[in-house]
Amino acid sequence: MRSTERRPRSFSDIGVRVGLLALAAVLLMALQISGNLRPVQSFITQLTAPAQLSATGVTTSVQGFLASLVRLRTLEQEYAALQTRAEQLEAENNTLRQVEQENEQLRSLLKFAEARPRLELRGAQIVARVIGEESTNFSETILIDLGQVHGIRTGMPVVTDQGLVGRISEVTENISKVLLLNDVSSSASALLADSRLNGIVHGSTSGELIMDFIPQGPTFAVGEAVLSSGLGGKFPRGLAIGVIESIDSQPNAVFQTARVRPAVDFGSLELVMVITNFEPNESLPDLLLQQSAVTPTPAAAPTEGATP
Amino acid sequence: MNRGALYYLMIPLLLLLSLLQSTTVARFKLAGVKPDLVLLLVVAGALVYGARPAVLWAFIAGIGLDIFSGGPLGASSLALMASALVAGLGHRPFSRFNILVPLTAVALGTLLYAAVYLTILAILDVAGASTLRLPLLGAVRDIVLPMTVYNTALMLLLLPVLNRLPESQDL
Repeated sequence: MRSTERRPRSFSDIGVRVGLLALAAVLLMALQISGNLRPVQSFITQLTAPAQLSATGVTTSVQGFLASLVRLRTLEQEYAALQTRAEQLEAENNTLRQVEQENEQLRSLLKFAEARPRLELRGAQIVARVIGEESTNFSETILIDLGQVHGIRTGMPVVTDQGLVGRISEVTENISKVLLLNDVSSSASALLADSRLNGIVHGSTSGELIMDFIPQGPTFAVGEAVLSSGLGGKFPRGLAIGVIESIDSQPNAVFQTARVRPAVDFGSLELVMVITNFEPNESLPDLLLQQSAVTPTPAAAPTEGATP
Repeated sequence: MNRGALYYLMIPLLLLLSLLQSTTVARFKLAGVKPDLVLLLVVAGALVYGARPAVLWAFIAGIGLDIFSGGPLGASSLALMASALVAGLGHRPFSRFNILVPLTAVALGTLLYAAVYLTILAILDVAGASTLRLPLLGAVRDIVLPMTVYNTALMLLLLPVLNRLPESQDL
């Protein structure tokens, strides 16, 4: 006879397991949003940072090695002419090469800092090392090795000597996350360098930079430099964003749109700078910024709003 | 019960892959998306061992992913658990040695993963608690579809390895 007695439910039942784990995930989400999970996150990121840094280092080295292999085919053809140069390069070991590269980057960053004495740039004294990138395909963020203890706060702009990178979106004790400018949730007020036209540069799902809300009528050209305008108060004025790559101007549209080639190569960031003395002005609530983005009016002044 | 080495290695492997996903894997972008190795391993685990252990692996792997992500903590766990459940269907009722089963499992798993993740982002956005805002059509066109193709192509490459693993009971 079949027993009609029901087995007590336990974690090995798939329904119970899925239910409990889903509940735990929702609970974690709620705790993170309320900020109660920050100490735990801080501890975990501190624990994983060295491994992440090592993995990034190894990846960079391997990538460099593979790139050299690819270049080798071309080098073979130019071997005779480059032989002397190659002998000199052989004398340098890998470590020295890396140090030299890093020095080069630091010098560029220093020049950038000296050219802008009003901005205090901090990170391992001046710069921050990128220790990781976004793990999913749904956002564009990087992790840097600076946190609260170094004076980093949410909303601070992040730059390289090439131009604007993004904003600090999350800070733990020693690690911060940077929401990149090419993330679809990011935006910055922008100004065309020659024609002085204002607009908003924002990211897209394809990772491209789009300059929107450029007034219809005045003309501007492909190749024109795009700078941060400082309007909205979320980024300092005059930081390079990129150059106009293509223009989309519909005769009936209120605004013109352009695709921007970023000044910064978001895919190969190694060192960045955090501008710590720039106070982001959060005068416009995000809701207002969303509304202005959805229902543009000719009178609406372009403004910016990354939403970390 | 012979569970095989992979069963015991799943959690450390998934945590390692979560770390690599934010470092090494980011360099393998094609058409703007990177492969989701964590998702692939969860799907493979579900096909070999069934959905029951796979949902637990999915939960742990999701936490690992979200620590290195700008997204909400727990979102990847829920999304991966959905993928594990759907991939687990391929464990018993269908033979996973049929080439279509793992490919369908990973394609469906990726689509479901993206659907759950995007739904969570949308809910948090409506609730005003989101840090990320993704337009649905753009996300599907530029992220979800290329990601599905990429993951499925990778599964095709992994099939010889997957087929060498012995069939295991639903644990």
